[in-house]
Formats: sequence, C-alpha cells, structure tokens
Amino acid sequence: MNSTIELLAPRYDIAWYPWAVQYFFMIAVSYASLWLAAPALVFGKKTWLPTARLALIACVSTTLVAPVALLADLHQPLRFWHFYAYANSHSWMSIGSVVLPLYLVSVLGLAWLAWRPALQAQCGTPGLGGMLATWLSLGSGTTPRAIVAVVGLAALGLSSGIMLYTGAELAIVKARPLWNTVWLPPMLATTGFIAASGLVLVLNRVSGLCSQTAIRQMLYVLLVACALAGLIALSWFLDGVNAHVGSVATALESVRHSASWRNTALWGGITGIALFAAVLYLLTRPTLRQPGPSGAPTSSQPALFAWAWLLGLVAIHMGWMFRWVVLMDVQHVARNSAGFHHYGIPAGSSGILGIVGTFGLWLAVILLIELFIPWRQAQQGGLIAMPTHAAQDASTHPLTAKKGASSHV
Amino acid sequence: MDAIRRSLLGQMARLSAGAALMPFSSLAQAGINQQPARREGDPTKRYGMLIDLRQCIGCQACTVSCHIENAAPLGQFRTTVSQYEVQHQESGELATFMLPRLCNHCENPPCVPVCPVEATYQQQDGIVVVDSDRCVGCAYCVNACPYDARFINQRTQTADKCTFCAHRLEAGLLPACVESCVGGARVIGDMRDPQSQISRMIHEHRDALMVLQPEKNTLPQVFYLGMDERFTTRPKAEPVALEVLDPHGQEMGYEFHH
Repeated sequence: MNSTIELLAPRYDIAWYPWAVQYFFMIAVSYASLWLAAPALVFGKKTWLPTARLALIACVSTTLVAPVALLADLHQPLRFWHFYAYANSHSWMSIGSVVLPLYLVSVLGLAWLAWRPALQAQCGTPGLGGMLATWLSLGSGTTPRAIVAVVGLAALGLSSGIMLYTGAELAIVKARPLWNTVWLPPMLATTGFIAASGLVLVLNRVSGLCSQTAIRQMLYVLLVACALAGLIALSWFLDGVNAHVGSVATALESVRHSASWRNTALWGGITGIALFAAVLYLLTRPTLRQPGPSGAPTSSQPALFAWAWLLGLVAIHMGWMFRWVVLMDVQHVARNSAGFHHYGIPAGSSGILGIVGTFGLWLAVILLIELFIPWRQAQQGGLIAMPTHAAQDASTHPLTAKKGASSHV
Repeated sequence: MDAIRRSLLGQMARLSAGAALMPFSSLAQAGINQQPARREGDPTKRYGMLIDLRQCIGCQACTVSCHIENAAPLGQFRTTVSQYEVQHQESGELATFMLPRLCNHCENPPCVPVCPVEATYQQQDGIVVVDSDRCVGCAYCVNACPYDARFINQRTQTADKCTFCAHRLEAGLLPACVESCVGGARVIGDMRDPQSQISRMIHEHRDALMVLQPEKNTLPQVFYLGMDERFTTRPKAEPVALEVLDPHGQEMGYEFHH
C-alpha cells in the first residue's frame, strides 16, 4: 500500500477565534510594558521615567482591554462566574482566571499611585478634568514611595504568573504538537517584549513626547528581545534536528507541504532579522553634538532616531503575527485527516469585527486616559508635583513638541 | 547527517538560552495538569468499545443514527466513519479502508484536567461527559483532544462529544451507533465483567487490537480489530475535498474528486 486518498472526513472548525489572538497580544503587551515601566516606577531609576510614563499607559490600556477579548472568546461569556464557582486547580486556565483579576487590580493600583501626585496638582482646575482629578485623587495626602514600590513589586510578581500561565496553557496541549514545546512560553514572553517596546516607540511619537532617552532605551530592549527570540527559535529547531521532537517535526512537515506555511516561516524569519539589523544600525550611529536650547553644547541623538517609531510598528506587527500564527494557523493543521483545514476569517464578531473592535476599544481607552489623566507627569509617589515646563509644553501641544523637548526629559 | 554533527548540534541546543526553563516544563506537565477525581456513574463498571473493522462496510448508519439520537447540529458529528482509498504499491490494486471515529473515553483523558470549571469529567464507569449547564464554552477541551472528538455545539454554544449514549446505557439500551451498525462491527460493554462480549473479544484478540495515537499516552478505550498500523496516527493521505454550497452560499457538504 503506498498511495492513499482520503475520501470522507468531516470539516473541523477552529475552536479558538481571533479573540484569543487579541487576548494573548494585549496581555503580553501589558505584562511586558509593566516591566518597562518598572525601572523608574518601582526601582526609582530617574533616567527611565520618560519610558515609564509611556509604558504605563500602554500597560493600563492593554490590561483593561485584554480581559474583554478573553471574555468574548468564551462561547458562553455570561457564565464567566463559573470560573470562580467551580474552580479547577488542575487546569492552567482556571489558575489564570484567578491570577488575571489580581493582576488587573495591581496594575490599576500602581497606575493610580503613579498618577496621583499629578492628579492632585490638577484638582480644582475648571472643567471635567479638574472634577475627575478631585474625585480620583482621593484627598491631598502624599503618596508614599514605599507603597508604590510594594504595589509595583506585587504587580511584577503577578505579571510573571500571567507570563507563566499563558505560556503553559498552550505548551501542555499534546494534541497540538506545535504548541507542545517548552520553548513556546519563553518565545511568547520575548515577542511580548518586542511588541511592548514597539508600542512605547509609537506612543512616544504619537503623544509628541519624542523622548530620545526613551527611544534609545526601547531600541536596546528591542535588540535584546530580538536576539533572545532568535536564540529561542534556534534552540527549538536544534532540539528537533538532534532528536525526534513532535513540534519541530510537525513544523517541518507543515512547511514542506503547505505554501502558506512556507511563506509564513519566511516572512517571520526575514522580518525578525530585518528588525534586529535595523535596530542595531540605529544604535551604532555616531552621536551628533548640537547646541542645546541654552546655547551650551549638549549631546543629541542621530537624526534617524526620529524614525524609530516605524521600527516600533514593525515590532508590534511581529508580536501580533507570532500570536496569529501560533493560535490561528496551528489550529488549521489537521490532526486526524489529511491536509489543512481551511478557515476564512469571517467578517462578523468572531472574525474581522472582533479584531478591529478590540483595537478600537484599546484606542478609546488610550484617548480617555489622554483626555482625563495627566499621565505625562507620572512618578514614583511623592508630594503634589507641579508640572514642569517641558511636560506642560508637551501636554498642550502634543503633536508640535518634537526634538526640542528631548533635552528636557 | 552524521553522528558527530548531530551531537554538536545537540550540545549547542543544550547550551543555548532557556535550558533553565526546563523545570517550568515539568511543572506544567505534572503538578497542575493531573486528572481530577472521577465522579458519578457506576464504579463497578468500565465501559469500552471494540470496533471490528473487518465487519465495517462504511455505510455511515452509525453517523446518521448518532446524529439523530443526539440531535447534533448539521455538519457536526459525535461519530463519523473516515474513508480512504488505498492503492497497493506493486499490484496497483485499489481498496477502501474504513475507520469509524468517536470519543475514545481514554483512561487518561487530556480533555478533562484542562477544563477550568470541571464541566467535563470522567464518570467512575470511565465515560467522559460534559455538563452543558456548567460549560463556559472556552473550547480548551476541543483543542486538548488529539482525536477531534469534541466540538462546540453551534446550538448550545457548549462543548459536545460522544457519551457512549450514557442515557441509553442507563435505560438498558445500546448506544445508537451500536444499535444501527449493520455489520455488528461496534461492540460495547463492561470490560470489568469477564463474561461480557467485549471482555471475551479483548481476551481472544489481545495481540491484534490497536488504539489511535498510542504515543500520546491517553490510553484510549476504543479498540480496533483488523487495523492497519499506518492509520493509528494522522494518515499520510492526499485530501480531495471540495465544498458543496447551496444557492445561498451555505455549505451543504463535500464532494470528492480525483
């Protein structure tokens, strides 16, 4: 017997919809940007403050939207309370359902503490913003730095729980050989850092902060994360070359038999290498000496840094596409029949509308924060702070403040 | 690739990043993903099924009767019979191979521990069932089953699967698929009763019986007699499927050509 033709097999639908991609993407950006905000907010490193402010809005906005996408992926979203009424400690998903709300509360707590001094400074100003600030700042007492650090550490701890559970949830599924590898959780985490630093670069540009310090720091994070992701991918592959490993064997088989998998593998590889090379190129440009606003010579950054946000977009694309391939494309690989299941992304809420809707919701959250929260003055607790000149300039003219503001931050 | 290069690559793999992550993997595999306690059902019984492929003619009577008995939505199946056209390498002789598929009611079911709300559980008689009032429809079990035996029922929006027709067994009836099998290929019974037909057949054909995907260590309790080992895992076959749509663009079924 050699030639076999499959005559009859039912069509198996995918079980997790693009909502799952949105959840895994949002929550990864959330935990990674929390770690990017941590050096300044939790450990008090002042040079990381511009990055921390941007990372904190990235973190808060994605932390708020991610659970919405997760709920939407349930076929019975109104039964979410069953997670708590009938918790099953044997299931990673159940463990996640306990960690996730705690993480959300800790992130909101940290953000509130970091924004509180600026909110207090905004109390009493005319308009809705002032009213909200009065209401949100809960009194005029100081915000002890120790509390910010403790809440921050708790959030970091819980974020590690999120990293672990989201990775393990997939990695234990033996039925999907492509998920069933120990290399998947670290790969999800590193691509999360790639996407988060990309998002901070984009927010840095769009918000008008254009902090050169933040750009340099994010480029370094991108460089390390890309290198780590490459190393993890290589290790996974070498494992499979050395011995029979189900995930590598299935991947090679998929790439061999499917043009779309070949394209995906090529695209992922080329984009990753191009991103790494571009970041390395930017970071190795010589630093130019330019006169500062006061006339004294001050160090500035390469002109190309102004375009780093484009690399940010590529980085976000990498983080999202990796999750799309892992969660959606892997479900197309047939387990018991020949070939691949076909799945056209539907237009409705379990498809394109869901994807666009999640990003729309995220944008709405970002805009609400921009409207009502003085996030540009976030700091590690302390007394009521009066906004600095540079920060005020940036907040009143978000799109006009450009390179000039760089020397202030 | 020669042995030295293989070994070198292996060393490189071990040296490279993430070797420290190995403990996480064992934690994920062992500690948390254990089987919860079985509940309900008759602890004195262990149901299993033996499918005598020599008797199966691929008539799909089981598929249809199950569909009607369990009111599955159109296009979703608790059991089906996969059919393959196989050609002998040398003689060119053609034959059709039939492979009935259903839930294997595994001794180590991977779908059960993943359920975040314990809506899916294994009864003490070995039957894996879903409490559709509790199920949140997260579809984790659908992904965790290597046999594609589960699906999200479009009507109830909860996980659905073969239950060995537990409701019929309770009433002293045979499952719909067994009842309707024209060749008597499907045999169900209590494997703890040495006098049952299934126990006797298992005893008689012990060495010839096969299960699907044994390497997954799920310990399936649906045994195949007259099976070709090449079909126990994903068959190396060429799919020839076309979707058949009605005038409104709705999918009606498949047409096969080659």
